[in-house]
Amino acid sequence: MAKSVALIFVFSLACLYAQNASTATPRTPDGKPDFSGVYEWPKASSGERCRCSATVFDRNLMSPLKPGGEPFLEKPNGDPRHDEPRNFCMPAGFPSGMLSANAVQFVQNKNYLVIVHEFQRMTRVIPLDGRPHRKGLEPMYYGDPVGHWEGDTLVIETTNFKRWGLDDYYYTDKNQYRMHSDALKVTEHISWKNPKAVAYRMTIDDPKTFTAPWSEDFTMAAKPEWDSTGLYEYVCEENNRCPGGKCPAP
Amino acid sequence: MKLRSFVLWLAFASLSALPLLAHHSFSAEYDDSKPVKVTGVVTKVEWQNPHIWFYVDSKDEAGKVTHWAFSGGAPGQLMRRGIYKEVIQPGMTVVVDGFRAKDGSTASAEDRIPEGKK
Repeated sequence: MAKSVALIFVFSLACLYAQNASTATPRTPDGKPDFSGVYEWPKASSGERCRCSATVFDRNLMSPLKPGGEPFLEKPNGDPRHDEPRNFCMPAGFPSGMLSANAVQFVQNKNYLVIVHEFQRMTRVIPLDGRPHRKGLEPMYYGDPVGHWEGDTLVIETTNFKRWGLDDYYYTDKNQYRMHSDALKVTEHISWKNPKAVAYRMTIDDPKTFTAPWSEDFTMAAKPEWDSTGLYEYVCEENNRCPGGKCPAP
Repeated sequence: MKLRSFVLWLAFASLSALPLLAHHSFSAEYDDSKPVKVTGVVTKVEWQNPHIWFYVDSKDEAGKVTHWAFSGGAPGQLMRRGIYKEVIQPGMTVVVDGFRAKDGSTASAEDRIPEGKK
């Protein structure tokens, strides 16, 4: 009887160990959660759908627009450089580009997290060493990111943006080209949700546009099977047959 | 050829076309109220970014040949879904569902097939 109890106890311990081993957060040598790997783009469990390839923000989660603030919605004006700059291989920018339906790779070490998105090969190099935002830069499409740790959550704050499209919602309604202002600050919270997915929260703080910051939670599924091919090349200029949306006949 | 056509159709049917239209504006260029179905022979394939293009010659009952060009997603998006350039090669007979372009001279992707141009 005693042997049976001991055997069950040992077996239980072994199961517990195995379970912990399979669910343990991967960590870098300095003990921080390790997000290195290839993922699907951020997806929302619910929210608005888009007639496009990308995830779009859920309007119901947004704060009210600021009275007298900068216009949030723009209508197409017939100029393709305004209506869809990517027709000219202009950048999607951030956060829009992060939501495109392509693979995303995280490469991490002690001092940096590098996020590379397959769409337009968007690359964000995020310092993790506690440095402040850079000063004196011109406004940018992808902004200026810095990261820090809050426990097992990596927090990235990105500022210094150009006024640019917030997301791809205008593919659903061409009269609702959602814009962010140059006052935008995006805060990302990244943490392991489970062994197969990362929880990814974006907080949009745009005081020229909204009355208050607002957030949306996404999930990025880990795709270790995509690591074998890595990210595919994406050179927009390679064969952009439709510059400005005008595709010449063959 | 019939089998290849079926395989091609199946491959593209497994896609959702709209998710492939990230780069240029579907609504600006194409009319989703004007679907077309084209059967013809692939003459050329450009498996390149930002969108693949393939060209199809179709022949009507009178023997008149019409040249079409169809566009799809980025090669990476397609390959990520297990669709490689071997699925469509010159000489294949294919059936493509698309939408006409707004200028009347083109056709484009519907929900299953990449967009195209005549």
